[in-house]
Amino acid sequence: MSINRIEACLDNLKERQEKAFITYLTAGLPDMEKTKELVKAQERAGCDIIELGIPFSDPIADGPVIQQASYEAILNGATLKKIFACLEELRAEGVQVPIVFMMYYNTIVHYGVQAFADKCKEAGVDGLIIPDLPFEEQDELMQALADSDKTILLQLVSPVSAQRIPMILKNARGFVYCVSQMGVTGQGAAFHSKVAEYLASVKAQSKIPVMMGFGIRTAADVAPVKEHIDGAIVGTHFIELLRENNFDAKAAEDYIKNFKKELNAM
Amino acid sequence: MNKKAYYGEFGGQYVSESLMNTLAEVDKAFEEAIHDPEFIRQYHYYLTQYVGRETPLYYAERLSEKYGTKIYLKREDLNHTGAHKINNVIGQILLAKRMGKTKVIAETGAGQHGVATATGAALFNMECTVYMGKEDIARQALNVMRMEMLGAKVVSVESGSNTLKDATNEAIRTWAKTAEDTFYIIGSAVGPYPYPKMVKEFQSVISREAKRQHLEAEGKNPDVVVACVGGGSNSIGMFADFIDEPDVRLIGVEAAGKGIETGEHASAMALGQPGVLHGMRSYLLQDTDGNVQLAHSISAGLDYPGVGPEHAYLRDTKRAEYVSITDKEAMDALMELTQMEGIIPAIESAHAMAYVFKLAKEMTMDQSIVMCLSGRGDKDVNTIADYLAGKGYMN
Repeated sequence: MSINRIEACLDNLKERQEKAFITYLTAGLPDMEKTKELVKAQERAGCDIIELGIPFSDPIADGPVIQQASYEAILNGATLKKIFACLEELRAEGVQVPIVFMMYYNTIVHYGVQAFADKCKEAGVDGLIIPDLPFEEQDELMQALADSDKTILLQLVSPVSAQRIPMILKNARGFVYCVSQMGVTGQGAAFHSKVAEYLASVKAQSKIPVMMGFGIRTAADVAPVKEHIDGAIVGTHFIELLRENNFDAKAAEDYIKNFKKELNAM
Repeated sequence: MNKKAYYGEFGGQYVSESLMNTLAEVDKAFEEAIHDPEFIRQYHYYLTQYVGRETPLYYAERLSEKYGTKIYLKREDLNHTGAHKINNVIGQILLAKRMGKTKVIAETGAGQHGVATATGAALFNMECTVYMGKEDIARQALNVMRMEMLGAKVVSVESGSNTLKDATNEAIRTWAKTAEDTFYIIGSAVGPYPYPKMVKEFQSVISREAKRQHLEAEGKNPDVVVACVGGGSNSIGMFADFIDEPDVRLIGVEAAGKGIETGEHASAMALGQPGVLHGMRSYLLQDTDGNVQLAHSISAGLDYPGVGPEHAYLRDTKRAEYVSITDKEAMDALMELTQMEGIIPAIESAHAMAYVFKLAKEMTMDQSIVMCLSGRGDKDVNTIADYLAGKGYMN
């Protein structure tokens, strides 16, 4: 079994024939202490993988909800250094759930690509999703990560990736993140017209699990395409839900438990 | 890595996966177009008949006499819509039509690129949406009205700093959603490849004309070529045909705002910190956590935290020099050009003028400077009036 936490987790799910449920929350919203509490609650609730959004001033792949979340987190003092520290504390306190950083490339370039990669391996970041780093621009970061399996770069594909898919999937690890629609996060479940066809095509070409994200709110949203995917990612809706419940950990736990149950009962 | 997309270590295509095929399509269509004599003929037809090219290379007599060297002004301010921006818009919109797109979108700061795009869209009967920061909409009411008169929809962007950087983010987000029928017309020499190359191609008419005009007037190349740099569109156009002439000094003038030392400026290259924004790797103003810092300049057109990747490359290879000019120096130069030559320049162009005055002091009457007068100052009269009122020197 791989020593990467994401791959180990997905191997497990495969054995149990279960689908993965992945959530996204913006780190530092409303503050670091709350982020720690929410990560622990999500792990308790059975969330398979947690995406932590690293706030950036110019999040071009995000819609208004995550833009605002990112903006507020920055105003509240969230920085990459503090988020690394927060993660190190979580790991020291026994949190085992795979954690993925979703972030923009400037934050990495600014930190220093090699220094960033080394810090990820050390702090317990299991994967990276970088929406403004397409396949052609990944060499530098891939090289910096190459000496270990601890942190892997996850690949994204979109409904218009078409002939690019084989190239992107060739050496892809962990899971492939299928963006369900064009544009940005959080536009609701009005999926691309040919989304089932597209997911089926990715699934047929992929050796690793296929996760669907962008615009998902409930397990029912993914029911029509369930045979083509190995899991679902909820971001914008999860942040809205946290806000509506004043970042109450119990509300997050209930939502995750319920989604997981429905997802695997389909 | 797609080496073609890079200028040294700068440039690239830092966009979402969903735009990669779009960029490949634009690149292919662009390369075909510029090798198609019919496309080039059309482009030049509109530049001549519609934009009003070629623009004069005016010998500024009184300034030359005062400063003791020959000062030539490339009069891009005389173009239709009042600045060099239209050169690029005509090129990109003809390309959009050729690709079968029916809609165009654009970002704008001061509104000059927005007005030029709205103008081109009216001319070629295309649907046009312009993204503009809420702050800039308030500051540039006249240009908003012009765009709306021309039939464009102006969308107020309310995120981040509510200025050009955020308007660009929103245009990119919209483009990622609508690229099937929509062409994104970028106004500056920035963005993912092939945009920096396209903007240079369509702005290089500036230096092609200026080089010939100067040769006719002086029988040689100029000693120095100067242009202002925000994202870098007029300057890359002004440098283009001189880059391979090693005897010609190339100088780009960034906005120092209230002074580099105050932190309130727009000189991405003065600090020389590389970053990634708007699809490119280049020099970028950032805070200590890697968030993009707000630029400041009295000139809305230079108020951009990044700079085109080819400029970053020209800086690092030392082919071009980059300097900066404060708000005050620019406004003084603006008044001097106005009163000595009867030309009210855009505040952007006044930055280049201010540096020309500094430089001219070290030069002789056998030498010459060509400066790109990128735009006219009509759009700036309110800013100029406020500035002068603040200083009280209109009284």
